[in-house]
Amino acid sequence: MSTGLDQKPRRLPKPTAFHRGDRVFTRLVTVAAFTSLAVLLGIAIFLGTQMIPVIQSQGLAFFTTTEWTFTFAMDESDEVKFGIFGMIYGSIVLALIAVVISVPIALLLAVFVVFLAPARVAKWMTNFIDLMAAIPSIIIGLWALYIFQPVGVEWAALLNQYLGWIPFFSVTSDNFIGSPFIAGWVLAIMMIPIVTAVTREVLDRTPPELVNAAESLGCSLWTMLRYVALPFGRGGLVGGVMLGMGRALGETVAVYFVLKLVFDVNLFRILDSGGGSVATMIVAKFGEAGPQELQVLLASGFVLFIGTLIVNIIANAIVNRTGKLKS
Amino acid sequence: MSTAEFEETATATLDAELGQRSPDAKIEMESRELSVWFGSRKVLEGVSIKFPSNSVTALIGPSGCGKSTYIRTLNRLHELIPGAALAGEVLYEGEDIYAPEIDPVSIRLKIGMVFQKPNPFPSMTIRGNVLSGLKLSGMKRPNHDDIVEETLTAAGLWKEVKDRLDHAAGELSGGQAQRLVIARALAVQPRVLLMDEPCSALDPASTLKVEDTIAELSKSMTIIIVTHNMQQAVRVSDTTAFFLAAENEPGHVVEQGPTTEIFSNPQDERTLDYVNGRFG
Amino acid sequence: MSQHTITYEHSGVRLEEIKKQSPLRPWANRTAKFKLVTALAALIPLLIIAVVYAFTEIPGAIVVVVIYLPMQIISAVIAALLVGGKNAAPDAVIIVLAIGATMLSIIIVASILFTIIIKGFEALSLSFLTQNNEYISPPTPLGYGGIAHALLGTVLIVGIAMVISVPIGIATAVYITEVKGKGANAVRFFVQAESGVPSVVAGLFILTVFILSGAITQSAFAGALAYFILMLPTVARTSEEVLKLIPDDLRTGALALGSTRAKTVMRVVLPAARTGIITATILGIARVMGETAPLLLTALTNDRTIWNPFGDPIASLPTFIFFNVSLPFPSAVSRAWGAALVLMALVSIVFTAARYFGTRKFAKS
Repeated sequence: MSTGLDQKPRRLPKPTAFHRGDRVFTRLVTVAAFTSLAVLLGIAIFLGTQMIPVIQSQGLAFFTTTEWTFTFAMDESDEVKFGIFGMIYGSIVLALIAVVISVPIALLLAVFVVFLAPARVAKWMTNFIDLMAAIPSIIIGLWALYIFQPVGVEWAALLNQYLGWIPFFSVTSDNFIGSPFIAGWVLAIMMIPIVTAVTREVLDRTPPELVNAAESLGCSLWTMLRYVALPFGRGGLVGGVMLGMGRALGETVAVYFVLKLVFDVNLFRILDSGGGSVATMIVAKFGEAGPQELQVLLASGFVLFIGTLIVNIIANAIVNRTGKLKS
Repeated sequence: MSTAEFEETATATLDAELGQRSPDAKIEMESRELSVWFGSRKVLEGVSIKFPSNSVTALIGPSGCGKSTYIRTLNRLHELIPGAALAGEVLYEGEDIYAPEIDPVSIRLKIGMVFQKPNPFPSMTIRGNVLSGLKLSGMKRPNHDDIVEETLTAAGLWKEVKDRLDHAAGELSGGQAQRLVIARALAVQPRVLLMDEPCSALDPASTLKVEDTIAELSKSMTIIIVTHNMQQAVRVSDTTAFFLAAENEPGHVVEQGPTTEIFSNPQDERTLDYVNGRFG
Repeated sequence: MSQHTITYEHSGVRLEEIKKQSPLRPWANRTAKFKLVTALAALIPLLIIAVVYAFTEIPGAIVVVVIYLPMQIISAVIAALLVGGKNAAPDAVIIVLAIGATMLSIIIVASILFTIIIKGFEALSLSFLTQNNEYISPPTPLGYGGIAHALLGTVLIVGIAMVISVPIGIATAVYITEVKGKGANAVRFFVQAESGVPSVVAGLFILTVFILSGAITQSAFAGALAYFILMLPTVARTSEEVLKLIPDDLRTGALALGSTRAKTVMRVVLPAARTGIITATILGIARVMGETAPLLLTALTNDRTIWNPFGDPIASLPTFIFFNVSLPFPSAVSRAWGAALVLMALVSIVFTAARYFGTRKFAKS
């Protein structure tokens, strides 16, 4: 029914307009809310400005070469060279190794918790995974150095012995200590709980009506996963893996303990001793760095910041998008 | 029949009825040609109702006809929803409560509200809940102990809780919690009490207690109650307004007048159908 | 059909029987064949590799991965074909692999915890918990010197970080859920982005802005600022989730009583979310407590007990571990393990507290 009332909505004042307390409160809360932005901008600006002198003195070689002058041993007249290509490349290699190891394990773990385990075991496992995520990286590093490294070396030797014909598993020396393979495993151990948590949530959120429909059609667990749960949660899974990868790229001390840091690029021999990691390099070099080298470390931090920021933004965008589809 | 005509007849009937019932039929509140939007969707159109002092007015109608939205415009809670807008006027003691210089907070203090779901503050004690309005609004009233007893008595809860005023409000049953919320609303001494389906979440025994409370309160204040329960409307109210919304149309008032008239001798066929339970 | 009803109502004996019923789950009952086949499928490969391991020289690692795992998968597939038919075979593979992945993670975590406990207890003593390192040198045997100074450092740094990040984190959540400001989505985005900042970058940032600029020296406060960057996103996001769970009824209830928005938030919404906010705080603490890299840059370490959070470099459990592991003395390494045990114990306490408050919150609503 239309009565032909021709009314215009009235303008109403803001709900906080009449109370000074409310206005102050709103303003304070708003300022506080943008702290995160301030921190991000601060990092970008303060570490970013350190880039300028580094680029001025090193040029693009900073990104593309692997030469590193050891400042404490140099003559004053020497030209200093700092190139972090090996470190950037090494960080990516480590993250990829960690992804390759952790993703299948995390997926299977999540499938176990969501579809296979009885309710009580599943609850226990969820707590267990959270506990795993809570173990400080320094403790994982300590454990890796004393307990895991010997095991990892044994594995690496076996891999090389039987699968050495695959280029990845070939070595240039018989020293398997401090290899990207072992550091990658350590990162994988740290990634497993992160990826599992996201995967579990994604699988949990598979609409029950789809699961029921699949079950009523007599689907087995495999077909249900293959055709319902995984396609449905694909975005979330990819996002979760990338979140874990972001964490792996930025991890510092756990890698510090088990990776022999070398500035040369270890192209593909992941069992070979020696590799690179931007984050670890910063901590390793910090203690002995002179002013110029410190500047280089800060610039490296900026590179690391931008890299992880990009990975994280993409990951969050993917996770959020799939999250919205579901709700 | 156009709204304007209809409005006239309705008011006339109402006035006549009130004339014989109470000689001082002062109009405490009224809405004039009130239309309400959510974003671009118009949910109410041209609602004009008068609420006489110290009486109970029931707003009835099927779900989705805008009753709850309407009642929320009467104490300016509606505008808190993002995208909300309205046109027309709501008068309280003859003054437009939506006038630009009026502070909505002061309006809510004079026009209290009780909601569908009991919502005592879980972090406060029973006593703390009753007095919470004073604390939240900054209103100063002496003798807090007297206020607690007075309002809880008025809400019909005093006997049940007088020995555990310092217990958490979460302990109370749904019916008790709803009466606590009524006591809480009374503590700031509102002139008008809006009740949005106050009994829909309660069991029959608690419902009767709340209805008794309403009857008692209406001697000294104006009560506007939204209800789905037609027996309840008959039991508690003096006047009734029937809301209806056709599909994809804003809600409007089909008929209003003394409750006995609406239920025994409705003028509109749709009212007749609704009060006889043929739809809704 | 109707006859049934009659017997049911009129026969007292039947009624007695019904009253005695105990709950059953007939759908969970497996046939004897199923049980037998499953048991065999699990046992046979185990037996075989036990023999292989005992009587050959093949390394244990190869036995498990190259012999046992494929054999277990094959036997599971055979078992599945026997009892479940063709469709059950892929499921059998998934089940074996899923259980394998679960075992692997349990073994890893158990190994970590077990190692810390065994090695940590060697160093643990009352003096270890109450003394500092001022009067010892790294080779000093265990029994002298301790981690009290590092424990205090961790408490100071985490405490200061908490005092800064909790109010700001809650305010961020309030902006998103209560004020519903225009920038809510942007703020959520920035918080998410901040949560991805590597801890070493947080340390570098504080180093550049506050320490290299000469504003403050390496100290507990500088460390706390770096921790704050890492802690804020956790507190803000958890608080946001918690505030979203607070029913709108409470907000409108307060407003209908003539409350202003500030008072509604401060006196009704936040108190109602109290346990959730405690959980958010604890999760924030858990996030940072073991972080090492930022402290290596901003707080360094110290052998003395430092009470002043602004003046001097200060020790903390993570940096204590870090520096002692790198030393070529067994007693120093032992101290690192002892500190690791204490750190893990702290993390476990915080973790349990978060669980406790986390479940209480849901039990209440």
